[in-house]
Amino acid sequence: MAHFIVILLDDKRLNAIKGTEVEEKIVNLFGGTLKAINVEIPEEVEKKIMEAFTAARIDSRGAITDVPVAFNRVLFEEIAKHKSMGREALDAVISRTDEIKEAAAKESEALPVPDIDISDVEELQKSPYQKP
Amino acid sequence: MGLLIETPLPHGGRLVERVVTDPELGKKMAKMAKAVYDIKPTLHYETGVPVRNVYREIMSICYGFFSPVEGSMKQAELERVLKERRLLSEWIFPYPMLFDISEEDYKELGVEVGDRVLLRLKGKPFAVIDVEEIYRINPEEVATRTFGTPEDNPEVVREPFDKKHPGWVIYRSMNPVILAGKYTIINEPKLMPPFDRFWYPPRKSREEYAKRGWRTVINHQTRNVPHVGHEMLMKSAGFTGDIEPCHGIQVNAIIGVKRRGDYPDEAIVEGHEMVHLGGYIKPERHLVTICLWDMRYGNPIESMLHGIIRQNMGCTHHMFGRDHAAVGEYYDMYATQILWGKGIPSFGIPKPLNEVPYGLQIRAQNMAEFWYCPHCNEIAYSGCCNHTKEKQKFSGSFVRGMVAEGVFPPKVIFRPEVYKVIVKWWKKFGYPFCNEKYVKEKEERLEVELPDMEV
Repeated sequence: MAHFIVILLDDKRLNAIKGTEVEEKIVNLFGGTLKAINVEIPEEVEKKIMEAFTAARIDSRGAITDVPVAFNRVLFEEIAKHKSMGREALDAVISRTDEIKEAAAKESEALPVPDIDISDVEELQKSPYQKP
Repeated sequence: MGLLIETPLPHGGRLVERVVTDPELGKKMAKMAKAVYDIKPTLHYETGVPVRNVYREIMSICYGFFSPVEGSMKQAELERVLKERRLLSEWIFPYPMLFDISEEDYKELGVEVGDRVLLRLKGKPFAVIDVEEIYRINPEEVATRTFGTPEDNPEVVREPFDKKHPGWVIYRSMNPVILAGKYTIINEPKLMPPFDRFWYPPRKSREEYAKRGWRTVINHQTRNVPHVGHEMLMKSAGFTGDIEPCHGIQVNAIIGVKRRGDYPDEAIVEGHEMVHLGGYIKPERHLVTICLWDMRYGNPIESMLHGIIRQNMGCTHHMFGRDHAAVGEYYDMYATQILWGKGIPSFGIPKPLNEVPYGLQIRAQNMAEFWYCPHCNEIAYSGCCNHTKEKQKFSGSFVRGMVAEGVFPPKVIFRPEVYKVIVKWWKKFGYPFCNEKYVKEKEERLEVELPDMEV
């Protein structure tokens, strides 16, 4: 059975594939609270991914995971560019392996922090139930 | 036969407590030391990255988490643990506990059997070891025998252990000279925030249960920030008990060096705390605690240690899931459940852990998995939900991938309060997971501060 990579779709990504054949492949996850595409990966491409990104592995769902964030970003870029999840998009990703590796090296040091308000949690922590 | 389950005795019959709380007595004991040794982290034998700090074992032994173990094991005891998972006193115990030093340090210390060594941590007096035996190990052999092999342990070992396994690496990276003997903490450390409010060594946890009126307590082992699947596991396993559900649900987080990609310890403990501060489990029924230990990821072997720790803390039950404390596919995914359900003869346990002589009293609650079912429209238990085609699993790597991409997780995956705690520590460390920088900095900082002590 071919393995797959799950690409999560936020609003920006959803817009980028609007009207393409990829849009038809969108799946709803967790009761529609998340949208994603499952990109099927042929065996020979999977082999190249596993060789290039040693942390990558197959999880219990049969999904290839633990690839760098940059890998998923580039994979989506190529899918959007080719308007397809087919072989040509995947080959384009593989041809950018060096660029992904370079970005991944920086990723292991730092990842941009989401810009969200966490003041409610900090407020809760002012009165912990368990005290030292 | 009565139906009520009572708090179990500590493993070995009594709690080991080897902490001197009187500083004057501590000083006196320290002054009797023949040599002084500064505790160093164990470094990966190839990369030099910290993989363990023996101070965590000294803490867990002296505060009784690992009762009845009292110190670094003698050679005969090491051999028995590797062969039969038993101490010389017969009580079952899974892992070698060793105080290892290099040949150079051994030469420099000049200690002999009968000597006391003062152990300093962060430059301050911390503990002593009274040396009863000195011997040498082959770290690679100890590493391999600790976890087993497909040939020797065919019931559960599926692949030979190697340098990709973080627990194997810990033993492989140990120094060859072992000082065996009892430890005593002579200068009581203070846990630093945020760990201080989760520090419940066995005596204190037992007192806390009594204060809360808890007779039955089920433990949840964690090295993770809890997603909703974990929360449902805790809530559902909490229905186990005797004539009523367990009074308490305890989370015991293993704090120490973790593998790359795990969450920082600070986010783990505060993430679990958010489960009760956010009201998802009443705080009166939920207790978040820690144990200091550099996780070995030994699935069934680790589960044995988990049972011992939590029985010593006073828990009556322990939930175990699939792939318990596992990494990779070295063990059968149900190895822990096999150990607790029928035993693993090749590891010296021919019957369930509760049925072997000198075994454990804590009761296992072996659980299958939880997934999201769009058909049931709820987090469902795999033993109940029959919509196996529609199920959506809580894959840890999927959740980590979502976090790494900065996607705000839906409520059915992470409670918003829990996710925001991840973000809080992400801001502090610049990264949401353990990486080399975090591990190195953490191993300098550690989890404790020591008071000044003039010796």
